[in-house]
Amino acid sequence: MDDISRTRLREIFGDRFRDAPDDRLCYSFDATGREYLPDAVVFPLCTEEVRRTVLLANEFGFPVVPRGAGSGFSGGCLPVRGGVVLSTERMDRIITIDSGNLLAVVEPGVVTETLKEAARRLSLFYPPDPASMKFGTIGGNIAECAGGMSAVKYGVTRDYVLGLEAVLGTGELIRTGVSTAKGVVGYDLTRLLVGSEGTLGIITRATLKLLPLPGSTGTLLALFRDNGAAARAVAGIVAARITPSAMELMDRSAIDCVRRVVEIEMPENTGCALLVEVDGALAAVMAEADGVEAALRTHGAIEVRRATDEAGREQLWKLRRSISPALRKIGAVKLNEDIVVPRSALPVMMAFLSDLADRERLTIVNFGHAGDGNIHVNVMISGTDADERRRADAAVEAIFRKTIDLGGTISGEHGVGISKAPFFEMEVGPLGVSVMKRLKAAFDPKGILNPGKIWLDEGMARS
Amino acid sequence: MTDEELKLKIAACAKCGSCRSVCTLYPERRDEQSVARGKIALIESSLAAPVPLCPGDTIPLGEESDAAIRDALADCLLCGRCERNCPNQVAVEEILVGGRTRLAGKLGLSAWKRWLFGEMLPSAGARGAIRAAGGFAQKLFLRKVPTESGLHYRFPDLAGLHGRTVPALPPSGFVASLPEGEGLIGEVLLFVGCVFDIVMPGIGRAAYETMKASGASVAVLRESACCGLPALASGDREGALKSVTKNIASIRARSPKSVVFPCGSCLTMFRREVLSLIPEGDPLRADADWVSGRCVDYATFILETGLAGRLNPMPVVEKGSVGWHDPCHLSGTLGRGGVARDLLTRVAGDAFREMAGASLCCGYGGTFNVRDYPTSGRLGANKVSLAVRGGTSTIVTACSGCILQLRDMAARFSTKTRVRHLAEIVRELLP
Repeated sequence: MDDISRTRLREIFGDRFRDAPDDRLCYSFDATGREYLPDAVVFPLCTEEVRRTVLLANEFGFPVVPRGAGSGFSGGCLPVRGGVVLSTERMDRIITIDSGNLLAVVEPGVVTETLKEAARRLSLFYPPDPASMKFGTIGGNIAECAGGMSAVKYGVTRDYVLGLEAVLGTGELIRTGVSTAKGVVGYDLTRLLVGSEGTLGIITRATLKLLPLPGSTGTLLALFRDNGAAARAVAGIVAARITPSAMELMDRSAIDCVRRVVEIEMPENTGCALLVEVDGALAAVMAEADGVEAALRTHGAIEVRRATDEAGREQLWKLRRSISPALRKIGAVKLNEDIVVPRSALPVMMAFLSDLADRERLTIVNFGHAGDGNIHVNVMISGTDADERRRADAAVEAIFRKTIDLGGTISGEHGVGISKAPFFEMEVGPLGVSVMKRLKAAFDPKGILNPGKIWLDEGMARS
Repeated sequence: MTDEELKLKIAACAKCGSCRSVCTLYPERRDEQSVARGKIALIESSLAAPVPLCPGDTIPLGEESDAAIRDALADCLLCGRCERNCPNQVAVEEILVGGRTRLAGKLGLSAWKRWLFGEMLPSAGARGAIRAAGGFAQKLFLRKVPTESGLHYRFPDLAGLHGRTVPALPPSGFVASLPEGEGLIGEVLLFVGCVFDIVMPGIGRAAYETMKASGASVAVLRESACCGLPALASGDREGALKSVTKNIASIRARSPKSVVFPCGSCLTMFRREVLSLIPEGDPLRADADWVSGRCVDYATFILETGLAGRLNPMPVVEKGSVGWHDPCHLSGTLGRGGVARDLLTRVAGDAFREMAGASLCCGYGGTFNVRDYPTSGRLGANKVSLAVRGGTSTIVTACSGCILQLRDMAARFSTKTRVRHLAEIVRELLP
């Protein structure tokens, strides 16, 4: 970045333009733990400032990398080619919550939980619940199409985005989509922008769909001897025509890992745990919880615990919530993947993962959203052992290949970013890549927005 | 802490961003530098190898960024919320203090901090002399602001003073005004702390009198040094150790059954930090361990004596008008907020009600308040305004920093609001 660009940006942003080394360092990372130093950071307060930044970038040829809270797991907001990190964290107004039309209009920097809470106060519900919802932003959630535990019943971020305002790579301001429940006028540019990882446009405003808030929630924790029994129980719940609002599976590797760190009382022969939630009107919740409990017991649960009050539910969630912190304690580095397979292929995938771990002498910890087939596969690397690292990388590739063979996808909710870029073509194929690149050229002809993401170019490889 | 130990503690941080959701300072600053994750990344980069091995690795910041990093690390209230909320249980406070110590070692401590931590705070005599001079200067130069919690003086709104107020320094400190022979010997030792001795001796006296009224034989640690927390938080381990060594030796020599602390921050220093300051193998460690295990907060001590049951009923005040403010160290770090509430419930009955925003940080943060008074003041004003709007007219707490801050806020914005220490409430009700 040259001095003229800096001067021009400083004219727009004043002290919201930062280029001291310490300021740049604080915007060099995200939750992947990798660091790429930007040339500068800007904090726009309005759409116009975003637009002027992109126009300048077109004039002077520097990259612009949009960033929400930097909580992503795929490196979507890392400035791998330098340039300007455009932080949306100060564009954080909820413009309106329209309870008559069941929608919200928000700026991209609104923290997801803040919106959920604002909706809740009006007995409304914004369902997406990524694990980062207390600090992650709506803009980041849309750009990466974040999911969460409730996806099994309510879907993912994509399903709640009705319309967007975005600054394209050309600096043009586009409004896509509708403020209505339906709309089919032309190509669905809204859906195209969702999950585009900031490579097509920078989202400056979003119109989101809301639902009525479910009245109550029931939680069940079932313990099984092995994955097979738990997988059959999942199938049993589906066969009973019940759609839980969360269905989380933790395999033996995850349970063992938690046991090394916190004390949770459970039978010694527990090899798999399933956490199920149902929500809705109280009477329906009671009936569905009974149905779930029956299915769990029929399929060989050693033990089923049930709670409807806040304290009891929290107790049941403890096992699930302890996994991520516990993981950090057993390995220095984790390769954190979020594959999805068709629900019916879950038992095959779980068996494959366990065999792979044994064969390659690796610790692979699996847990995740069994209800929608989304498994968080964590390949743990304990130290700086080069051979272990090589085996781990090979294992990740084998897992992705198996996932695609089973009809699944290599990323359910984290996005491609840089961490899955080497495997991107494996899933979408050469024509898929080619069409996407043509679309990219239409939105961002000079390649200003978030360069170096999604597909591999210029030999960038997973280090 | 060696650089290697510091690196190991830093490795636990996954940079997930959880700290952003609880940071007291983040809503004020709205950038990564203000939160734990950013500060940890800065320390990490100052420790990194000069050239990253491959793209994506930790980026080194050269020594020319040391001063900027020191300033970023100082911009923190040490309220501890990030650490308590961290899914990976990262030792944020230790890392920050480790980083501050490292940079203080490289860049040196500012002259006034060297004097404050090294000379004045460890010495009771020096503190007394400063108090006398300060009291004289106040009367001469500052404007009076009478408040419900005592007379305050207001600084002019210039040169970074922003119209702040300070309590009128009394003619004599609590310890200095004790009659000769009073509070010399007792099973229970009162560690009164600098602020409650010199700046607000009425609170020190209230703690002493109520402890005596409980039936215990109470001695006052007359020769105490500062607890050492201000020095430690600024990265001056030597200054902190000087105070700690003095205190541990004089407390151990008296072999008290317990040591009672009216201030939650002093108590945190003794319960949590002293051992980390004393090197392995030092004979002082055994004494420090012995002392640390006997340190308790004021509310716990009073509740255990049963004094609460023997007090006069509280005079009729408006229902729910008395609230409790959670000091970050006392309630957060040490988890004693529940005990203080128990005591208040016992003594204030239904005058006590959970205050709006009770657990919000008051924004004082020790030297943070000196460093950035406007921000500290905004956080404090917000706290008091929430409480007042919620119907609280008396804010009760048990930390010297919080009381200084809340009384300043009350003097500036809400002179009818009373800010009281638990001990003052209890003393008013002594039979």
